[in-house]
Amino acid sequence: MTNGLIDFVLVSVALLAIGIYGLSVKRNAIRMLFGVEMIINSANLNLVAFARFIPNSQGQTLALFSIAIAAAEVAVGLALVIVAYRMYKNIDIEDFRSLKG
Amino acid sequence: MLDFTSTPIILTLMLGAVGVIIPVISAVRKEKNDSLYGGIAFAALIAAIGFVIYQIISKNVTPGAIFSKGVLANDTFGSFFAIAMLIVGIMTTVGSFNFMKGRANPAVYYSLIVLASIGMVLIAYSTDLVMLFVAWELMSIPTYVLAGYLKKDPSSNEAAIKYFLFGALSSGIIIWGISLAYGLTGSTNIEQVISGFSHLSPDMMPLAILAVGMFIAGFGFKIGLVPFHMWLPDTYEGAPPTISALLAAGTKKAGFAAALRVIIMGAVALNLNWSLALAIIAIITMTFGNLAAIKQKNLSRMLAYSSIGHAGYILIGLSIAPFSAIGIAASLFHILNHAVMKAAAFIAVAGIVTTLSISHIDKLRGLGKRMPITSLGLVISLLALAGVPPLNGFWSKLMLFGSAINAGATVSWAPYLAVAGVLNSALSLAYYGWIIRKMYFEEGESEKRVKEPKSIIAVMIFSIIFMVGIGVYPDPFIQFAKSAVPTLAGLATVH
Repeated sequence: MTNGLIDFVLVSVALLAIGIYGLSVKRNAIRMLFGVEMIINSANLNLVAFARFIPNSQGQTLALFSIAIAAAEVAVGLALVIVAYRMYKNIDIEDFRSLKG
Repeated sequence: MLDFTSTPIILTLMLGAVGVIIPVISAVRKEKNDSLYGGIAFAALIAAIGFVIYQIISKNVTPGAIFSKGVLANDTFGSFFAIAMLIVGIMTTVGSFNFMKGRANPAVYYSLIVLASIGMVLIAYSTDLVMLFVAWELMSIPTYVLAGYLKKDPSSNEAAIKYFLFGALSSGIIIWGISLAYGLTGSTNIEQVISGFSHLSPDMMPLAILAVGMFIAGFGFKIGLVPFHMWLPDTYEGAPPTISALLAAGTKKAGFAAALRVIIMGAVALNLNWSLALAIIAIITMTFGNLAAIKQKNLSRMLAYSSIGHAGYILIGLSIAPFSAIGIAASLFHILNHAVMKAAAFIAVAGIVTTLSISHIDKLRGLGKRMPITSLGLVISLLALAGVPPLNGFWSKLMLFGSAINAGATVSWAPYLAVAGVLNSALSLAYYGWIIRKMYFEEGESEKRVKEPKSIIAVMIFSIIFMVGIGVYPDPFIQFAKSAVPTLAGLATVH
């Protein structure tokens, strides 16, 4: 147990950066979903790491809530992607461009 | 400990039970009767708003906006937003009666509207970041599904995917901000975060500023502030118009509720000179929204850009909050007014789309004769959006711009906000007037009057009464908005 708080935060910032990179560069809807998941999970890592050094359990509680909510969110996202796949036979975001102006 | 007699808990139990039961009823029942589910949702929302008003009249709510140790505060600030959100929920539900006729899964549709309404109401009541985040997601997740409700329609699906990706990104950023605030102060209670922030050591200050910046960005996505608005026009255009009403009038205002609870407090405690930054965002947002709205050909898309513009107006009140006592009250009043105006406009669009399948502005010619009541509702809501007296939009804009001029006594740049607002209102009158001219003063292909759906007529009559009523006699609502703020503004003097 020699890891300090800074190590956890560095990992979590790295995950955040990867998530934002994935969201902004990738054009595959599933990959973008991965990016979102990484952002939320990096925040969870943050919360749990802080909670180790703070004498109350609010951080752990919020991490639990946020894991459950992220699961619900991804379920909805995957359902939307499946509907899109049935319609376009493709999940490339670049192809979804009927709305413009 | 939870107080089971407080307004938010009872609202949650009441609406939550209804939201869960509606799909169960539809699974159990054999015969198809679409209107039943809408009726149940409507009754529940009416009961909820009746309960909130009863609590206010019998003085069971704490005045102002309080910050308790618990997760929910039973205060006037929350009640004010609860009334605005529930009005929007009711207008959306009634406006959907006709739209949902013959469409699949009405039970799920109405249940999701009820669940999203609870989320919006709970955001306004929450005083803890955990509660705020859960309520935020309770509001967001149903609206992702609702935006993509027309499964066979590519544009509805596209709208939902764009909305989902940006919405999920915004929740990720918000929870990052929360985690930073928790790490810095050791608590998720907003009151304790504020006091923790105000006693922070200077080398931790950049992290606190980053946390507040993340809150602004996260809420800004839902509100539609300009650097974060990219998804908004596409989503409002592609989603079913009734759902666009819920998004523009409901979730956007809930974003402001969350922002008022969190951002203002954090920034006040950090003693940041953040007003100028927000003022610049406000001016950019309103100018961009109104300029982009001018060249739109699709009615929903034009209303979407106009709602970006209105987010800019509302932000005026937030940016001058430290210098003018009525700034936040003006914002709250405009939030209530804009919720009703925008919901009325989108429901009118829903009526036009379902009866005549028109969404292009050029095809609105002669609509005034074909659908007189819907057209009248649309015209009055457009005039109210532009801020024409004696409609409600005029008074709230007057309050906003007036408070900006008042704040000019302390900060020299504040009057420019009022100038920008007035110029933008004049600009917006141009494109609203364009639609009104098309509807009433140009010959259409057909003059034949079509049968207008009863539910749309009901919503139009309600909103016309609301808009003209507040316009003629705005005083009680201004007082109500003012009564919802004192502690919020008072906090600036505490620290």
